[in-house]
Amino acid sequence: MKLVKQLAVTACAAAMFATAAHADSIKVGSAGGVTGPIAELVATIVKGRDLARDQINAEGGLLKGDKLEMVIGDSACDPKAAVDAVGKLVNVEQVVGIVGPSCSGATNASVQAVTIPAGVAVLSDSATAPSVTELKDNDTVFRVAPSDAYQGLAIAQLVNKAGIKKVAMTYSNDDYNAGIAKVFEEEFKKMGGEVTANQAHEPNKASYRSELQTLTAGGPEAIAIFAYYGSSGITIIKNSLENGLFGKFFAADGMFDQSVIDQIGADNLKGNISITQASSDTADASYQAFADAFKATGADPAAPYAAHGYDATFMMALAIEKAGSADRAKIKDALRAISDGKGEVVRPGEWAKAKKLIADGKDINYEGASGSADFDENGDVSGVFAVNVVGDDGKWAKELLK
Amino acid sequence: MDPVLYGYMLYGVSLLTVGGMYAILALGLNVQWGFTGLFNAGIAGFFGIGAYTAAILTTNPHTSHIGGFQLPYIVAAIAAMLIAGIIAFLVGKVCLRLRSDYLAIATIGLAEIFRLIVNNETWATNGPRGISQIPRPFENLPEPINQFAFLGVVLVTLAGVYWLMEIARKSPWGRVMTAIRDNETSAKAAGKNVETFRMEGFVIGCMIMALAGALMAHYLKFVNPQTTDPLLATFIVFVMLVIGGSANNKGAILGAFLVWTLWSASEIVAPRLLEAIGMADAGIRSAYVRIFLIGLLLQIFLQKNPQGLLPETRPSSPGKNSS
Repeated sequence: MKLVKQLAVTACAAAMFATAAHADSIKVGSAGGVTGPIAELVATIVKGRDLARDQINAEGGLLKGDKLEMVIGDSACDPKAAVDAVGKLVNVEQVVGIVGPSCSGATNASVQAVTIPAGVAVLSDSATAPSVTELKDNDTVFRVAPSDAYQGLAIAQLVNKAGIKKVAMTYSNDDYNAGIAKVFEEEFKKMGGEVTANQAHEPNKASYRSELQTLTAGGPEAIAIFAYYGSSGITIIKNSLENGLFGKFFAADGMFDQSVIDQIGADNLKGNISITQASSDTADASYQAFADAFKATGADPAAPYAAHGYDATFMMALAIEKAGSADRAKIKDALRAISDGKGEVVRPGEWAKAKKLIADGKDINYEGASGSADFDENGDVSGVFAVNVVGDDGKWAKELLK
Repeated sequence: MDPVLYGYMLYGVSLLTVGGMYAILALGLNVQWGFTGLFNAGIAGFFGIGAYTAAILTTNPHTSHIGGFQLPYIVAAIAAMLIAGIIAFLVGKVCLRLRSDYLAIATIGLAEIFRLIVNNETWATNGPRGISQIPRPFENLPEPINQFAFLGVVLVTLAGVYWLMEIARKSPWGRVMTAIRDNETSAKAAGKNVETFRMEGFVIGCMIMALAGALMAHYLKFVNPQTTDPLLATFIVFVMLVIGGSANNKGAILGAFLVWTLWSASEIVAPRLLEAIGMADAGIRSAYVRIFLIGLLLQIFLQKNPQGLLPETRPSSPGKNSS
């Protein structure tokens, strides 16, 4: 028991020491599934967040030289653990805002149970579930990771740009694909296109001939498929080609796999299929600035959501700077102001420049490593998408959508 | 009020709320493991049945899952217990004849099956994306009164379950249960129908676990398959019961509050500890060090104190002067 006592004494001393040492720091919660099913991904995302923190502190820190301190909270990708961890960040650590949590479920529970009632801004770097959009959040929940639903918009733009006015669509009856399909239909109609037929299909059927037969009514020029390649997508394309029903295909990322080309044949698909996918614009100056700095720390800038983790942290810091104080309510309002597409462009790493612009009362517009990061009315970003087409070597060739 | 003090107060409320829900889970397990000697390693499954039933019955209509019944909380909680009870009965029919360790394997399997069903039957449960916007009792009251009010709901429920379990423990039924646990053959020889009693213990325990699950769904306002992850829904409950004192209802409650507080508060202390000794990346590492430290503390405790904090006390037999 002596050991326990010693531990307790050390802990108390440590707690007091920590408070004293960081008296001039501003705390932001860094919530994520540090343990749990995506621990490896989160370790790199946290590195992205920490890079932003280090750059900010190296270039003058926040406000009057206060250090930005990122306090880790382990959401473990489990709603129970997330509510507990985020609750501690808000109530015990007294953070002014939160970056994270990583998983959509953990985010969903912790914002509803803790941060929305407390009025603390949450900026998630990797929650993509559309259900986060529908929350009544008093404008406190933001994310720099695009909602899955935005892919529907990306495909609609792609079809429209290809000059196709009449399209048939079918979706696998699961909420991921159904969600993207719904957005596609709305957006395509808004662009003046016509959806000639729209039909849900059950996955894992041996044939989709009868469904496709129905879908040809009304003279569509192409078909948009929202499905997983393995459970129905490949069969749908096969049936379409065999029976000469459809020759041009558009699809969401559930269809993205090399086996689609391998099973149907590159010759049959070349020039006739386009598959969208969330991506980063690797040629963009903002991405380059982040990637160079991140590589220098020994980490991989292409790791999933690492760029988003960097952006979320940088934006939270900009919001604190813009708010002019560590006031939770002001920070949540300032988050919109620093990235609304208006004002002087600030890129990753340009903290000193941003600080000066804000001090001079100028508007700034953060252009992030993960995309432009401009929030819509729900606090979502539209993200960056790429399109995959069949390349000369019989593999997918990726091209960025602008 | 000073914002720091206010924050600590709210944290205290959340510790008691979650601790209270775990105490209900521990009381449910106590009926099974403590009194009847049934090794139910599938607590997460029955907890999940309760959480999902309450979620589906109380939420507003939504396109992504069945539901939209908007039933009152109490009706949903009763339904959660009934469904868990029926499933426990069916499982018990098959599994309760198994000896203790085989029952553990069967119930672990059952919890996994439940998790896979909610993960895959997307039409009903929205699959891995879970059910969101679950209402919580008293949430429309102003902050922070609503949090105190929900804490009240949890504590009143806990008190009710405790009261019923104490009556059960002191009754002849409770004595038969401990008799079966300690010596099944002699209980049989005394003319007791062992299988029926074991079934009763199993079903009642599972119903109590489902009640805790229903409360948790309202507290989190969200459920997904991850909510039934066994670490924080099965194993921690065993630790709570064993630390507090198996076969002692007060012990189960004490253990639940104590272990949950230790689990939760260690996240505040661990990174500061590592920072004080100068470790790099203290934040990330402390998440693992914390789990190790808790494991170590439990080992030390159980070595010194295998009976738990509050050991079992047998109710006085009828005939002797009762207290």
